[in-house]
Parts: sequence; C-alpha cells; structure tokens
Amino acid sequence: MTVQLEDVTVHFGNKHSGRTCALEGFDLSVAAGETVALLGPSGSGKSTALKAVAGFVRPTRGRIRLGGNDVTDLPPARRGIGVVVQQYALFPHLRVADNVAFGLRAARKPKAEVSRRVGEMLEMVGMTAYGRRFPRELSGGQQQRVAIARALAIQPSVLLLDEPLAALDAQLRADMLGELQKLRREVPDIAIVYVTHDQSEALALADRIAVMRDARLVDIAPAAELYAAPPSAFTASFLGGANLLPVSVDEGAVKVAGAVVPGLKPEDGKSLLCIRPHAIRLEPPEPANAVEDVARLVGRVVAAQWRGASSQVTCLVDGLADVVVRVDVPADRRVPELGAAVVMVLPVEACSLVPAEVG
Amino acid sequence: MLVWTRTGKAVVWIAFALVFGLLVLLPFLVVIAAAFAGSWNGVLPSDPTGDHLRQALSGDELASLSVSLQTAFMGGLLAVVIGTWGAMAAYGSRFARVADAMHHLPIAVPSVVVGLGLLVAFSRQPVLLNGTKWIVVIAHLVLMVAFSYGTVAAALQRVDPSYADVAASLGASPARVLWRVRLPMLLPAISSAAGLSVALSMGEVGATIMVYPASWRTLPVSIFALTDRGQTFVAAAEAVVLLATTVVLVVILDRLRGRAVER
Ligand SMILES: Nc1ncnc2c1ncn2[C@@H]1O[C@H](COP(=O)(O)OP(=O)(O)OP(=O)(O)O)[C@@H](O)[C@H]1O
Ligand SMILES: [Mg+2]
Repeated sequence: MTVQLEDVTVHFGNKHSGRTCALEGFDLSVAAGETVALLGPSGSGKSTALKAVAGFVRPTRGRIRLGGNDVTDLPPARRGIGVVVQQYALFPHLRVADNVAFGLRAARKPKAEVSRRVGEMLEMVGMTAYGRRFPRELSGGQQQRVAIARALAIQPSVLLLDEPLAALDAQLRADMLGELQKLRREVPDIAIVYVTHDQSEALALADRIAVMRDARLVDIAPAAELYAAPPSAFTASFLGGANLLPVSVDEGAVKVAGAVVPGLKPEDGKSLLCIRPHAIRLEPPEPANAVEDVARLVGRVVAAQWRGASSQVTCLVDGLADVVVRVDVPADRRVPELGAAVVMVLPVEACSLVPAEVG
Repeated sequence: MLVWTRTGKAVVWIAFALVFGLLVLLPFLVVIAAAFAGSWNGVLPSDPTGDHLRQALSGDELASLSVSLQTAFMGGLLAVVIGTWGAMAAYGSRFARVADAMHHLPIAVPSVVVGLGLLVAFSRQPVLLNGTKWIVVIAHLVLMVAFSYGTVAAALQRVDPSYADVAASLGASPARVLWRVRLPMLLPAISSAAGLSVALSMGEVGATIMVYPASWRTLPVSIFALTDRGQTFVAAAEAVVLLATTVVLVVILDRLRGRAVER
C-alpha cells in the first residue's frame, strides 16, 4: 500500500511551555514494496514523521493517506501499520511469544491461528527457541528481532522502523543489517519507512533516501543518485562527509583557489565544489605532467587519523582560509608527515557543483 | 561520610547504636515488655502474664482489630483505585499540576483538620454520614489517596509512552491497552501503594479520633482510649497485636509485589 504524506506539519507544546515545530510542510510518498530511509541529524524530526504516519501524534496541518484513503483522523489501532520504535518497547510483563501474539489476540483471531502465526514469525526472525523467555532475558539484538516479529505478525502493509539498530554495537549492527536485507526479500509487498541517522544503513537498505534537517525535507532521491550527485551542500556533507570547496568562475572556467578544474561547466547559483574524501589523491609537490583531467590544489597536512583500512588526512589549501579538505588515504599508500606540503589531486569525474547554503 | 580508622569506625557505630537503640528500639521493647507484665514497679517489669494479651484478643478489643482491618482494606484499597485512576487521568494533561496539588493537600494538612472537615461536612443533610462507619472509611480514603497518587504518578513518569503507542498500533482498543499493557506495567507501583496505604491506615489516629462512632472503633483509637483510662498494660498488649498484624500485612503485600515485579 502506498503511504503518502502531504504538507504534514507537527507542533509540540503550547503557549506556556513554548511551541516546537517538529515537522514542517513534509511531503513524502512511499510505494508498496519500496524502502525509503529518513536520514537526518538528531532532532531533525525523523521520529516525528514516523509517529505521524503511525498515528501517535496528530498533525497540526496536512493529510496522511494509506493506499489513497485519508487516515489522518484514524486512531493507530485502525491503521494496520507495523511499528518498531527506537527502544523496541517489548511488553516487559509478557513472554516473547505473547508479545508476538499481542496484535493477533487484539484482533480476536482463533487460538490455532494465533499459535501458528506466532510460530511462523519467530521462525522468520530465528527466535523459535526463545518463545518462553521474558524480554529482559534477551540481548539487544534478540529484542530487536522480537519487535520486528511482533510488528509483522499482524500482516501490515506498511512497516515503520525507528532507528532499529541504534542500540546495538558495531558488530551486531552489521549482522542485523544483513538480516534486514534478507527480511526485505521475505516481505516484498510492504512499504517500509526506515528512520536512521546512520548513512551506511540508509545506503545499504533504502531504495530512496529522504534527507531531513530542522523539521524539513531537504532532498529526496534514489540512494545512488543522492550519493553521486548531491543536490545540496547539506546532503553532500551529511551523506558521505563530502568536502565542500568554494569556487569562482573565470572566463567560463571553474576555479578552486586559483586552480582550474578542467572540464567542469559552471552552473548558475552553484558555488561549492563537492568531492568525496576517498576520491582525492595526495601527491608530493612536484611538477606533474598535465595530461590528466584533474585539478591540483597545493596545501599542507594539518592532521592525520589512522582508521585501519585507511587514514583520514586533513589538509589546508593554500589561498583558502578556513577550509579544510579531508582525504582518505588507503592503507597501502604512504601517509604524508604532519606539516608536509602536498598536492591534492581532484579527478574531475568525482567533482560536482552544489549550491551554497542559504542563511 | 567516610571514616577510615578503626577507632573512628567504632565510635560512629556506637553513637549510631545508642541513638537508634534509645529512640527506636527501646520504646518497642518497653511496649512488648509491658504487654506481658503483671506489674511494673521497679526498673524491670515483674509477674509475667498472658492475661493482657488474652484481654486484647477478646470482646470489644477483638472487634477493634476487625474494624481496623476492614477500614484499612476498604479505605486503603479504595484509595489505591482512586489514586491510580487520578494519576493516570492527570498524566500528560493540562491539569496535572492542579491534580498534583489537590492530591497532596491531605498530606500537607494535619489529619485532625481533615477529620474535622469531614465531620462538619457530613453531619448534616444532604449527605449524612456522621455516626456510620463510612465516615471513618472516607477519612482513611482521603488521607491515603495522596500516597497512592504520588506513588503511581512517579511510576508513570518512568514508563515510556511508546509502550501504549505500540500496543495501539498493533490494533488494541484503548480498553485493551489499559488492561493488558498500562496497568500490568504499573502493577509494582500499584501494589507498593497498596502496602503503604494499608500500613498507614492501620496506624491512623488523628482523623479517626475526630469522626469515629462508638460502633466503629479502630485499634489505635482503642489503644488511645485504654491508655486514657489508665489501663496501660492492656493498651500495650493491644499495641503488640496492632504491630504484629501490620507487619504480617505488609510482608504479605510485599510478597505479592515481589511476584508482580518478577513477572
Ligand atoms: N513529545 C514532544 N514534546 C515536545 N517536543 C518534542 C516532542 N517530541 C519531539 N519533540 C521535538 O521535536 C523535534 C524533533 O524530534 P524527533 O524526535 O522527531 O527527532 P529525531 O529526528 O527522531 O531525532 P533522534 O535522531 O534524536 O531520534 C525535536 O526538537 C524535539 O525536541
Ligand atoms: Mg528519533
């Protein structure tokens, strides 16, 4: 079923406690079978958008539709949406199997059907052996699986996941990411909205990514497109930590710190050059043969962080005050000394232009 | 305060034992001793006897015990129901502050004043309760409601509202969310409120003494009356009965709560 949000606005608080606008003019449409990730920093309104769809908060303005039907005024119980909240919220007084059965019992399904479906669900998430346990006897990852099983037991046509992996450690998170990809294939017709502030989760799971900031939708596009050619400076740096360098236009050529970026066409209103840290190469400051389509920036190294598979080197560019360039140097390359003069080589095919921030 | 030296520790412990022993333990021991004393003329009681206890467990005095138990259960448990209801209704509403203040009024106001208020309010038509047991039950209810409300309201603050949200999203009606999720999750707080209310109600005098009719005399009031008439030993025996009953009740309610927490 398609989920549609039209101009949804949510305010919290009242005159006395002060009003916060948690969501402002939010438009989103998620088709059946599609996964859309809501990506944004803390407090950007991701959870609020999810709660509006689930019916936990009432929008101050705007409409929410499920499969074309207006559900804005329906209570959560009548929406048939599966929800997994940030801290899972497994009912602590109920055993795992009873947690999963909760929605089926609320719908007064016959006993036999309830136990059959609970069995299926627990099997799907690999928790068959844990049906008799209480939630507090489970690890974080196991609780998360049960929460998903409980949400899917009612056969929802929409599944909302609010940072389902945020409470897990790095290793488990990677494992669960794989499990979620598998799960997606098992429920091919469900529309999934996946809230996260972790870009790698969004890139791994989502068909489309909606980037949010300060209660608003900034950009929405297919994941690969958003990564390759970010439409805004915020998306560029939030999704993949891109470097943003101010450019000037001189006789139809784009220049960064005086160096020409060959082959890049200037565009109106776009005054920042966006390039990913892994696309930049560091070279010793020697005269190079100018056959490549590259821009060469001269500068020096101010910091280096070893990260195992690569090192992140921070450089300053001569002639550009207050701009740092982060470069990922693969482990098999030599990391220049601190303070050393270097040349940053920017391959043109990895460069794109984005508009500068307003305000 | 951290004390490291041996003598320092010893001094602290002795000081504590003296204060605790003198102020807390000694009165208890004296009451128990008096309950079993035939006479007490010297430093120590003499002529040990079970007569006082027998007296405390017969006739009017036994009736007092039964009255106290009934009052505690009716007043205390009703207070838990109303306090829980109030706390859940006020939670998250605009009137939460007002409700908080209203419910704490009976704690802030001396219980004698609460009793007097009830007496004045219910001594005349249209609601004439003076002279019935109900005025005592209501007095206890009013005093205990504050504790129940406070305990449940504090527990509500700690329960994440997303439990109820998730339950609703799974298709549960509001009544089902209440009975299957919200109340079970509050059960530990509710049962501890029940324990507290019953225990406090067993010992209540201030308001009771203002309102009780002759036919509904609680145990503490009896103890007061007996002491007033100079029958100190019987009063002490009754105090022992009151003490034992309250301890047993609190232990039972605590067991129930332990079970609720475990689930
Ligand atoms: N119940 C509430 N009452 C008042 N303000 C709220 C409430 N819930 C959220 N807000 C405010 O709304 C804004 C958006 O909150 P929201 O929970 O949607 O953020 P989020 O993007 O999910 O952040 P996070 O990644 O930290 O979970 C925040 O400024 C927050 O303080
Ligand atoms: Mg959130």
